[in-house]
Amino acid sequence: MGVAIEARGLWKTYRTKKRKGLFRSQVEVVEALRGVSFHVRHGEVVGLLGPNGAGKTTTIKIVSTLLLPDKGEAFVEGYSVVREAREVRKCIGLLLTVEKGFYGKLTGRENLEYFGALYGLSGSVLKERIDYLMKLLELDKLGAVDRLFEEYSLGMKARLGLARALLKDPPVLLLDEPTLGLDPPSARKIRGLVRDLARNGKAVLYTTHNMFEAEIVCDRILLINKGRIVVEGSPEELKARIPRLRTIAVLVKNGSRDVIEESIKGIGVWREVATTPEGLISIRVKTENPEEILHDVVKAIVGNGYTIASLRVEEPTLEDVFIYFSTSEGSGG
Amino acid sequence: MGFLDILRAELRFVYADVFRRKSVLFMFIAYPYILTLFILLVGYSMGSASVFVERVGVDPAIFFITSGFILMAILGVGDDILWRPLFDEWLGTLPYIISSPVSRVQHYISIPIPRLLLVLVSGSTSVVPVLLYYYGLHGLVEGVAIILLTAIAAIFFASIAMVIMGVLYGFGGEHWRAINVIRPLLLVLLGVYYPKYLLPLSGYIVSSLIPSSHIVEAIQRILTGYNPSLQIMFMLIGVATALFILYTPIGVKSIVYWEKRKVGEGVKI
Repeated sequence: MGVAIEARGLWKTYRTKKRKGLFRSQVEVVEALRGVSFHVRHGEVVGLLGPNGAGKTTTIKIVSTLLLPDKGEAFVEGYSVVREAREVRKCIGLLLTVEKGFYGKLTGRENLEYFGALYGLSGSVLKERIDYLMKLLELDKLGAVDRLFEEYSLGMKARLGLARALLKDPPVLLLDEPTLGLDPPSARKIRGLVRDLARNGKAVLYTTHNMFEAEIVCDRILLINKGRIVVEGSPEELKARIPRLRTIAVLVKNGSRDVIEESIKGIGVWREVATTPEGLISIRVKTENPEEILHDVVKAIVGNGYTIASLRVEEPTLEDVFIYFSTSEGSGG
Repeated sequence: MGFLDILRAELRFVYADVFRRKSVLFMFIAYPYILTLFILLVGYSMGSASVFVERVGVDPAIFFITSGFILMAILGVGDDILWRPLFDEWLGTLPYIISSPVSRVQHYISIPIPRLLLVLVSGSTSVVPVLLYYYGLHGLVEGVAIILLTAIAAIFFASIAMVIMGVLYGFGGEHWRAINVIRPLLLVLLGVYYPKYLLPLSGYIVSSLIPSSHIVEAIQRILTGYNPSLQIMFMLIGVATALFILYTPIGVKSIVYWEKRKVGEGVKI
């Protein structure tokens, strides 16, 4: 599969004026991107993960021709986002924030007709495309087609946003946190659709905070922190790159949190004891060799006369990867 | 992607918006009357209508209803062009408009047309009935001529509005504040309520640089009967056209510059 998006050494610095008193102001400089390079192939969903202010949205903005980089280059389908912005715009479908971006006094259909015209579609082609997308995103079932946008729920807004991104059937999709704040059925619907779109050859650049989502949607993940890509790979590869700490997770009935905390002191490399909403005590102990310390953990609980409700050993999650590389330890920053 | 497709989209957008906000629709029809009523009440408290007729040469009701209509048409075009980018930024639609492959110039030319058409149609509920009532069939012809001239004045204003837009956004910052200052200035400089020839020299010069002010003068000459010869009419329309032709390329460059500037600083999401 060919490369759809290619970024080479993107740098971006924001300068904002902060008012200091009535007449004075101070220029604040923020380095949003510091040499970001990556590529996205057709048929691939690439996740851009990182903490707030890491540079995810700045990257999406540059690729979608909404922001010029200070240094570096980005190409979409071979077109430069700086010199050939108009060609790039023909190739991309964009979804930025789900809660706004449409005209409130227009219905879903009217909004899509409006943006369809701006994207160069008209007549029966546009009408058929809108009908198809309304069905695909189940907006027809939700009765949203002829409802005013201002009456939409967040889930409907997200679906309509995705419908607009797909209006001109672009080969490249840029989706900035498309499931943020959505109810589970809407989020699941959108995740499933994104996977289907990639299967049909579309290149998708996808930002999210949701680790679970990143793991199931993305083929490859770029972890960005402080304007740099700190690590890149498939979810499995990334998990393999962090120290192989596994977690012994135990739920205890009728226990005392303080007693347990005292009893497991010194076991494993990291421990956490908490009380669940159901009144159980949750114990999480991280270690490289669970088999070696499992006996000590059980003994610390049963020895105090408490009952184990459940016990399991968990493999590292993408969240562990995210935390590991987002901290100074992992990113080296 | 044709201009007509973009225009059709804008027509749909504006009409859906206007017809779903009944208050806006009401204002379209009632604005010239409300404004006239207000001015006449103030005017009658200070003098009589006969004094106005003596000085200006036309009944104040006709003058102010026509002026309200002209103002709505011309400033409506200005408002559409100057406020629309801000409106889109607030609604979050601007990123999707900028990232569309449509010609920005074509888009901005199409933006004021739907509302202008509505205003012109509303002339049939204000200018035409009033002139018909006062002057009979001759008034009807005069009313239609005024609507056509107003359409030209409003279209010509688009060029200078685009220039102002580029300059304002070029300076950046909180440009909506600047728009709020410029708007009342334009109201005076257009000479709609306050004829151009009554302005001080500096004001007269600035006013003469606005293409639409010449068309407004032509309309006022028709209304007041002050030397409305064909020769003068053609001269005024000619000057306005020349200015329009002069400003249009600058307006186009202005829009292109605005987009570059927006992308340079980053389109707000």
